[in-house]
Amino acid sequence: MRLNLVLELLDVPGQLLDALDPIGKLGANIVAVIHQRDVKTERGTVPVHITLEGDDETLKRVLDSIEKMDIQIMEVDGVVKKEKITTIFIGNIVDQDLKETVKVLNNINGVSVADLDLKMSDNPTKSASRIVIEADYGIKKSLMENIKELGRSKGFLVINEV
Amino acid sequence: MKLCIIGFGAVGKGVSRVISMKKEILKEKYGLDISVVAVTDRSGAAINPDGLDTDLLIETKEKTGKISEYPEYGVTDVTGIHVLNQVDYDCLIEVTPTNIDDGEPAKSHILTAMNDGKDVVTSNKGPLSLCFSELIEAANSNNSIFKYEASVGGAMPIINFAHETLAGNEISSVQGILNGTCNYILSRMANEGSPYGQTLNEAQELGIAETDPYQDVEGIDAACKIVILANSVLNMNVSLKDVQIEGISRITPESISLAKKEGFLIKLIGEASHNNLEVSPRLVREGSPFAVDGTLNVATLRTDLADDVTVAGKGAGSIETASAILSDIISIWKSSL
Repeated sequence: MRLNLVLELLDVPGQLLDALDPIGKLGANIVAVIHQRDVKTERGTVPVHITLEGDDETLKRVLDSIEKMDIQIMEVDGVVKKEKITTIFIGNIVDQDLKETVKVLNNINGVSVADLDLKMSDNPTKSASRIVIEADYGIKKSLMENIKELGRSKGFLVINEV
Repeated sequence: MKLCIIGFGAVGKGVSRVISMKKEILKEKYGLDISVVAVTDRSGAAINPDGLDTDLLIETKEKTGKISEYPEYGVTDVTGIHVLNQVDYDCLIEVTPTNIDDGEPAKSHILTAMNDGKDVVTSNKGPLSLCFSELIEAANSNNSIFKYEASVGGAMPIINFAHETLAGNEISSVQGILNGTCNYILSRMANEGSPYGQTLNEAQELGIAETDPYQDVEGIDAACKIVILANSVLNMNVSLKDVQIEGISRITPESISLAKKEGFLIKLIGEASHNNLEVSPRLVREGSPFAVDGTLNVATLRTDLADDVTVAGKGAGSIETASAILSDIISIWKSSL
């Protein structure tokens, strides 16, 4: 069977070679690689389209090994995968109802809160929380604006990714 | 080339020191014979049409705190404007302290020199971030060369780099760490887990943070630089009031440790693009070009032909800033040949 992947690679020498290396070793055939360096994601990385051939089990092992290498898989057979976005809030987080904040984020289309960590300070108005969000590819910029607005409305200092 | 240095604090002294160090080399290499004909500070001025001794200028200032005490040629009760109107010079070096309320007296010094057809080099962010287009128009209409590399990032080359080395590229955004004091405080907080107030005090004791650190830690200094970059590199027409500003005083050790767990550092990042002018604390990946420690400045220019280009360098320091001023002086000299 065939599998179409879109990987997100850093635009530095050797990245593509490293990503392709385990594929052959695990017994899958590389049918096609489309690597257009002039097409960039909003983060400046390069999306690389790869078509593989192999049995079900082999292809599964290939996907696992790519994930283990910390290479982001943007699409599998046309299905858009999620990307991780981290944000930090500082402020009176507990009183401002963290539960509601998470609910607002979860209600945004294509977004779900994947992880949440809270650190209380001696001064409750200086507590910090880290929220890890999984979002569909391509909505990061607008999502970060939403997060900024949400934080502002609650009096939090919002620290988004650069 | 006859220079008039208005302002003789750390940067002014740095310029004087660098001229002392490089005088002979500049003559040999570029045929540039620099003569400092006037220097002013709050006490008055030292003026000699035949040239002042740059080492003696520094010595006088360091010993007495007053440039007006310069032997034989020191005068009291004169302002920068008086000196500019009196003295015959080619290029003004404006290095008075930054004033972000009205840009004065630097703005008047610069306009006086330009209206007289003189060239101007400055490190002063005040007038540049408040009335950039007025200064550029004055320079153009008087055929005066106006250079201000030292106003952003000290020795980190960015303005001339964007204008000259990246000439032909369209630059769509500039993003970077533009304040060394904030970067130092945030780096220390990340490395030692110390609280903001304590780290700021230590930075003040070491002389890295000012006695009044407000403009640095509240992001205003970085915002001035963002305005200068937006106007000069992105050809925008904006001023300080157009920038969204959030400083680092609300950053806590808890937030830094949460960021670290996910492989991030917290840095004060300035961003200028056609749809965003902002200074705010942001998460940057450990190991990324923005993960610089200490007082370093770093900036990434996004271009259409050269893609992303990142520069880094010392953002402050009298000699480092004077290095940028000297490169502007040499560039003016070369263009006059």
